[in-house]
Amino acid sequence: MRDRTRLMLAAVAIVSLLIPGSLRAGQSPGAKPAAPKPTTVATKTWSAPKTPWGDPDLQGTWTGDDTWGVPFERPTQFGDRRYLTEDELADRENRVKQTQERMLSEANTAPSPARAQAEAVAAGKELPPAPAGAFGRGVDAAPVPGHWGEFARRASKQTSQVVDPPNGRIPNLTPEAQQKLAAKNQLRRGRIETWENWSHYDRCITRGVAGSTIPVIYGNGLEIVQSPGYVAIRYEMVHDHRIIPLSSSPHVGSNLRSYMGDSVGHWEGNTLVVETTNFIGDKLAIGANGDLGAPYSDALRLVERFTRTAPNAIDYQVTVNDPKTYTAPWTIAFPITQEPGYELFEYACHEGNHSIANALSATRAEKAAEEAAKKK
Amino acid sequence: MRSKLLILFFSLYLLHAAVPAAAHHAFAAEFDANKPLILRGTVTEMEWINPHAWLHIDVKGTDGKVINWAIEAGAPNGLLRRGFNKNSLPVGTEVVVEGWQAKDGSYRANGSNITFPDGKKLFLGSSGTGAPFDPEKK
Repeated sequence: MRDRTRLMLAAVAIVSLLIPGSLRAGQSPGAKPAAPKPTTVATKTWSAPKTPWGDPDLQGTWTGDDTWGVPFERPTQFGDRRYLTEDELADRENRVKQTQERMLSEANTAPSPARAQAEAVAAGKELPPAPAGAFGRGVDAAPVPGHWGEFARRASKQTSQVVDPPNGRIPNLTPEAQQKLAAKNQLRRGRIETWENWSHYDRCITRGVAGSTIPVIYGNGLEIVQSPGYVAIRYEMVHDHRIIPLSSSPHVGSNLRSYMGDSVGHWEGNTLVVETTNFIGDKLAIGANGDLGAPYSDALRLVERFTRTAPNAIDYQVTVNDPKTYTAPWTIAFPITQEPGYELFEYACHEGNHSIANALSATRAEKAAEEAAKKK
Repeated sequence: MRSKLLILFFSLYLLHAAVPAAAHHAFAAEFDANKPLILRGTVTEMEWINPHAWLHIDVKGTDGKVINWAIEAGAPNGLLRRGFNKNSLPVGTEVVVEGWQAKDGSYRANGSNITFPDGKKLFLGSSGTGAPFDPEKK
């Protein structure tokens, strides 16, 4: 394909990403889109849809919400078992249902440590201690307020998001990566004194490729748009996008690097396989929000696989190859689904990110109080 | 009795702590877990901004003085998916906030719970909104 044609097709893909889905579908903005059918397992009669030009059709808005809460690494009691037993699944289904009921119940029945503490103080009692460990990552670990989170619609059968090695555990880190992880943890867990204490996610910069897909407390949406020769993906949080050429052409030169890397894709049957290299090293990690775990190196090579398995389900897999960081490759896998009424919303983040100024102000106040205490 | 209550309190806490979460930033960097508060006030503004929405409320103290507090809420896109919109909290609405004050002592707090005075929750995914958990959409 000639370069100029490719550029035009890429432009079409980019423009499509900027147009709301309802307009692309030729509907008026106010019209309600037809509700996709519920997630089902593939049936004998179902075959993967194709685009008008014959590629497997992965287009649409997808979310990984159903994997939210599934452990990233497999708890050791499950051993090499990838899926829950029927009893374990029934337990998880119960928990998912309870969470939904708690979140959607009109009465506010969520336990509130803040209320318990405040009422004790008001009654002249000793301040109950803050739940141990809960506030190190604060709202990350404290009881999730009912109005903060999105949550799974149905229970995942998986025991972990990491599916290979067979024990579901991330392979050992290289000695070099262990040092980088220790240094990073020191920065993150220390007092907020500089922008370097913050992750790229905290700073609204990026979550990287894997970090943009792995489900977290909210904002798990991504949209896939295709044109002949290209697949484009945009992620809601933190507003990253990728234009992936479908070709056998080599990656760009090794001096060209970015947070989202250089992606090249091809089809293997109905599976879209995307290889991404040319990452900026030592900044982001593979896990949640691009910040969980050891920072990956500039040698990182990700291989993602997108396979449509049902009208509104894609099996997503990403294999992590980074010999400077991990002693073996490893793979994460989970489904992403299309859901009725689910769409992506704008995520301009930096401008309203009051957290940085507030945290710096908090540190200055703490230091001033310590200085004052010393002078006493 | 008190120890039983504490045990209940921590049991409830542990139930929820078992749910891993990853909101946009660390609580401890901004807010003080030793400064719990319950605020009753009226809405003056709802800021729909990423990464977190901020609710501003006027709170009248026991001395009659009115202070405008800024309350950190969830991510606006998440709130929208739960059926919340710009008309949900008009100026003048009375709300109760349970949370923790900012470490620097300013009138800012993390809104752990935000409810109407009768105990009904804010941010419900109500029917017909197109929210993903809308019972009518299931």
